Amino acid sequence: MIGDEKQFINLINEHQGLIHKVCIMYESDREARNDLFQEIVLQLWRSYSTFRGESKITTWMYRIALNTAISGFRKQTRKVKTEDLDDVHLNISDNSSGDENEENLNRLQVAIRQLSEIERAMIMMALDEVPYEEIAETIGITQNNVRVRMNRIREKLRKLMTA
Amino acid sequence: MEIEDLKDIWKKQSEAFTPKDTSELANMLKGRSTSIIAKLKRNVWFELVFTYVVGIALLVYGVTLRSGWLSSMSISLVLLFCLYSFYYVKKLKLLNRFDANENLRENLRRLIKSLKGYLRFYKRSYAILYPLYFFLGLFFKAVEYGAEGFIEHISRPQMIAVLVVFATVFFACSMWLTNWYLKKLYGNHLEKLESILGELDA
Repeated sequence: MIGDEKQFINLINEHQGLIHKVCIMYESDREARNDLFQEIVLQLWRSYSTFRGESKITTWMYRIALNTAISGFRKQTRKVKTEDLDDVHLNISDNSSGDENEENLNRLQVAIRQLSEIERAMIMMALDEVPYEEIAETIGITQNNVRVRMNRIREKLRKLMTA
Repeated sequence: MEIEDLKDIWKKQSEAFTPKDTSELANMLKGRSTSIIAKLKRNVWFELVFTYVVGIALLVYGVTLRSGWLSSMSISLVLLFCLYSFYYVKKLKLLNRFDANENLRENLRRLIKSLKGYLRFYKRSYAILYPLYFFLGLFFKAVEYGAEGFIEHISRPQMIAVLVVFATVFFACSMWLTNWYLKKLYGNHLEKLESILGELDA
């Protein structure tokens, strides 16, 4: 393994949680999630040489991962199906003991997956505590617009979580 | 539930997946991209290779024929295929212009522009090719019959009607097939991209 590749793999290793989250939010079944994970890693690798550290590494990763998940990766269907939600649930249950926190996480995941693709991207970053400035930079809208949209998304999520 | 509560719940997600190991990640770098642009590029290369294979087969067939309309048509088709190399290069250039390093909105705009440009170019090239080849066929027939014989043959009302019906049906079917193929391959994806961009621009 050459130097750059090793450095890149270490970077992915360190931040692979971010890619996993994007895959879970944008893909319905396990196989499709694995395909998307690989595609994101490939796209990150392709643009790694052009990354000059002008933005935070996670902002860059989010930008490429979301571009890949939303616009670059063509898949069969993006509709939320019952079995898809079950699959997400199983994915969590595999690693958990079934307490209230896990149930809340399932409800949150299911709720987020019912949002539009842009809303999903924004709430994911907000929940990961990405500042509004970076969300605006990643999505390509103004910070004010991020604020307005985030208020709407929070309201939607609240309704979905309590429904 | 407030956003801070949601953040706390969200953090639990990191524990819910099995991390990929280093060798798995290294193998991923050697994999083949399934992005829409990569797929389009592969399609263009496939069409290019297919065109050359058919071209060579036609050339072999054309030169084994003694002479006449069919032989001229086969050889002219090979020449046309050679000219089509430029068309494939242009298609690849259009696709190579795409760079996914921008923000989501700009990336969507560029992708939509690239896809639309590619599809427009694809449709136009076939819209030109079909009539061109039809008239080329008529031309070779004229060469074979001789100008006088050809004009006499073609000016019969029955022959005019047959040619008009044949040309119309062939052109309509071919264009319908091209549009259907493009819509099936990329049209739905393009509509989806436009609707996401519409949401961002709203």
